[in-house]
Amino acid sequence: MGVLRVERDAPTGIAARVGGVAWRDFDLQLFVYAVLLATLGLTMAYSNTAAQLGGDVAQGGTTFVRGLVWAVVALVAFAAATAFDYTWLKAFSWPIYVVNLALLVASLVLGSSDAVSARWVSIFGLQFQFSEIAKILMIVVLARYLADHDRRLDSLAAIVGACLIVIPPWILVLMQPDLGTSLVFIAVLVGMLFMGGASLRWLGALAAATLAALPLVWTYLLHDYQKERLTSFLDPAKDPLGAGFQLLTAQHAVSDGGWLGAGLTNGAQSQSNLLPVQATDFVFAVLAEELGFIGCLVVFLLFAALLWRILTIAWRSRDPFGLMVGAGVASMILFQIVVNVGMVLGVMPITGIPLPFITHGGASLVSIAIGLGILQSIAMRQQRAEW
Amino acid sequence: MRFVVFAIVTVLALSGLTTRLVAMQLAGAPAREPAAALAPAEVGRQIVTEPVPSTRGLIYDRAKRLLVENVPTFTVSVRPADLPLSQRPDVIGRLSGLLDIAATTITETIDGAIGSRFDPVAIAHDVPEQTARLISEDSLTLPGVEVTVDARRDYLDGPLFTQLIGWTGSIDATAYASLKSQGYLPDDSIGKAGVESVYESALRGVYGVREVEKDGTGRTLRVLSTTTTPQAGDSLVLTIDSREQKLAQQALDWGLKLSGAKRGAIVVENPQTGEILAMVSAPTYDANLFSRGISTADFQKLLSDKNLPLMNHAIGDIQPPGSTYKLVTGSGVLADKKLGVTETVLSKPYVQLGSTLFWEWNHAGWGPLDIKDGFAHSSDTFFYQMAQRLGIARLAYWARQYGFGQLTGIDLPAEAGGLVPTDQWKLETLGQTIFPGEVLQAGIGQGYDLATPLQLVNAYAALANGGTLYQPQVVREIVSPDGTVVRPFTPKVIRKIAAPSWVFTTMREAARRVITSRHTYNFVDLPIVVAGKTGTAEFGLRDKNGVLPYHNWFAGFTPKNVWTKDNPTGDVSKPDSQLAFAVFIYDAGTLGNTATEVAKYYLQLHYGIKQDLRLPQLLERTNFYQGGR
Repeated sequence: MGVLRVERDAPTGIAARVGGVAWRDFDLQLFVYAVLLATLGLTMAYSNTAAQLGGDVAQGGTTFVRGLVWAVVALVAFAAATAFDYTWLKAFSWPIYVVNLALLVASLVLGSSDAVSARWVSIFGLQFQFSEIAKILMIVVLARYLADHDRRLDSLAAIVGACLIVIPPWILVLMQPDLGTSLVFIAVLVGMLFMGGASLRWLGALAAATLAALPLVWTYLLHDYQKERLTSFLDPAKDPLGAGFQLLTAQHAVSDGGWLGAGLTNGAQSQSNLLPVQATDFVFAVLAEELGFIGCLVVFLLFAALLWRILTIAWRSRDPFGLMVGAGVASMILFQIVVNVGMVLGVMPITGIPLPFITHGGASLVSIAIGLGILQSIAMRQQRAEW
Repeated sequence: MRFVVFAIVTVLALSGLTTRLVAMQLAGAPAREPAAALAPAEVGRQIVTEPVPSTRGLIYDRAKRLLVENVPTFTVSVRPADLPLSQRPDVIGRLSGLLDIAATTITETIDGAIGSRFDPVAIAHDVPEQTARLISEDSLTLPGVEVTVDARRDYLDGPLFTQLIGWTGSIDATAYASLKSQGYLPDDSIGKAGVESVYESALRGVYGVREVEKDGTGRTLRVLSTTTTPQAGDSLVLTIDSREQKLAQQALDWGLKLSGAKRGAIVVENPQTGEILAMVSAPTYDANLFSRGISTADFQKLLSDKNLPLMNHAIGDIQPPGSTYKLVTGSGVLADKKLGVTETVLSKPYVQLGSTLFWEWNHAGWGPLDIKDGFAHSSDTFFYQMAQRLGIARLAYWARQYGFGQLTGIDLPAEAGGLVPTDQWKLETLGQTIFPGEVLQAGIGQGYDLATPLQLVNAYAALANGGTLYQPQVVREIVSPDGTVVRPFTPKVIRKIAAPSWVFTTMREAARRVITSRHTYNFVDLPIVVAGKTGTAEFGLRDKNGVLPYHNWFAGFTPKNVWTKDNPTGDVSKPDSQLAFAVFIYDAGTLGNTATEVAKYYLQLHYGIKQDLRLPQLLERTNFYQGGR
């Protein structure tokens, strides 16, 4: 584990300068689970690259090589976030909010026209999706707000306030258009409100109101292609070569996996490049086909362990802000797992939500690394938070 | 404890997914949908055999002048799956500018396409080469746009041969269903009219087979090998002489233009073989419209034109043949010995049948006439009496001997058979037998008689060659791509008409007298020997003056010894004619016989006669029926 050693060294150096950090409280488990999941993601990137290029995986610009670059960037981001004293985030939460909005506006304006929508921004040749970072920034801002209103979340005003904070970035994300991330925003909001102790009555009322508003959203806000994707999972065979094509192929790939899978780079569906977005949204189908049920189970267990560690850190922090960040990150990861895997397994609509760690995508990995880094920072500075 | 709730939710969610995973991966496969729907997905990247189109055979005239060739044509298509939604407006906007098609039309075409999103949707056919180049070189900024090259039929003389040669077009669903087993493809093109349709199997050739590697979405990655090379189709050599065709069209167009008539036909045949030398049908249209992919608007225009441009009027228009039909009555009455060659019959102002008067066309008659003079003056009362002598059954017998009331069997599609009335036919269709008055009308090519210009020229060709009815043909030879003749020309005899040769000699001399008697005005002044017969046939409904519209006909032939300086007596007794012709003008409405003038002009052109004897004053349109049967 050469990578691990490098990782341990870097934050130590910075930490020495920051000083007074309780490195004994570094949550090694959280880190290990995350690294294992990220390694699995890279493995799938390798397999997908082999599918596209038939062997010459290591050449520059391939999915796998870009994945490696991003993994390094994510490690650096994680280290930085860990070393950074999270309490400063509280102080800077409003500037962060403004920066967040600015980034989203910028990606709307600068968004590359080469890609499917405006959500991609090219930085140093690497495609970057700001809405992924926006999720983490949103969690920080929301955590600050909810921590400030700790014990007063029974009131409708506090809940509405939280919603008002989320709405501007949410609309910007929806305009990109990035339906998936906008749904993650809502999941994070609900998860954090729930964990923050918001009145269940009001939450229920809010949920009811949202349900009532759905037909309006359906009619006026969604693009036709979004509707098509959302409904095709109900009956993929209706249009086997159109919108249902990805689904049918994905499900077929999953079924072919069996107990042990076909083995890496051996999946029949995956290696014939049949899955239209197999490196990203449908990567789990490739994983299921090539690594089988056992592989999937390992992924689930790793995710469960990771979530467990996140919740533990949040629980132990005894700082409302730390608790809220943990709740937000956990909600985000859980929601993305359920929706992405559910989509591949044909029980959830197609929304384009990435599977944390596994889906190839730099922004997603970096944003989760930052989130986990903040949590590490919380874990290591809980004494101080108490004090 | 909300932590506990969250943990439970997490565990439940992951367990739920695991359960689904178990169901899919370990316990059969509920998500495995019908195999047919998954077929394209299952094949994945794999090697498939696919057909390679063969080169379609060419078409030449009898002098081996090229009439149809294959030219490359560029089609621009869009593969919806490869066109990102965000770029759709840009791409469609650019295509709209390049192809000069409205952006909305392109959008509608793409969205309206049936089938897979991976199937290319053709948005423009027959794109100019330069535009096609521009688009294919710009593939980076035009994602999902493809340019394909196909072969298209180019009909070099455009409208001149349309009804003869026809055109190719996309195979339709019913044709595909029946031809699938012969290797036709759903997007194949097929001969749809003219000889392109009749000789489809010869022209098409044999498609080859090649192995290609394709990815799961059906995109061809590379061609591996050609298993069977395609065999080019055979070429056709027509009996048509394109020079004659042009002259015939020139004559017909002149007649139509002056008379204001819109519909007509001219057919020229070699009486010794049945070869059709020229066949012009008016109005016509450009076959290239179809081979380029005709627009709905253009097609609707052709379909709704009341002058029926899509019909080959030479073989598809059945109309009463008028006095040209007196050939049948005359031959019959001579052969059946109901009239002697020199016997005279009194022509009169009218023939009375019960209380009905059947008028002579000049309301006077010419006194006693023999068969030749009766034919020359086109005396209606003479032939009424001949029809009475024959009776409907014998009249029908002789009509069928000359080929009326049946298909000639020409190698062109959509030939009409016409009608020869008999008691049996009328009983079956109208529930009565023929009335005596109808027998009179049948004797002069009126009433129920219906014939095509082709039947008429073929009957006169039989007269000219001494009684042999040939099956007319428009394709002379079928030639393989290497130049060997696969099917040489052989004349096909339908029948020897069951009359002694003197009957034909007599009728040929009668037809010659039509010209020499100046019934056809100055036709006789041409320096050639011509024999023929005019016809004017009423049809349809009376106008407000009680006048029926009428067609003009002229059918005739020239003897081999055609120049009057070599043949001063105008001898047509020998059955050696090389040229028979028939002209038909629908709804002529002129003072004189337009068909006769067109025939005269055609012969002037054919024989290169400097003297111009056309009488344009006869082609003024009149709405008063002048007679002149």
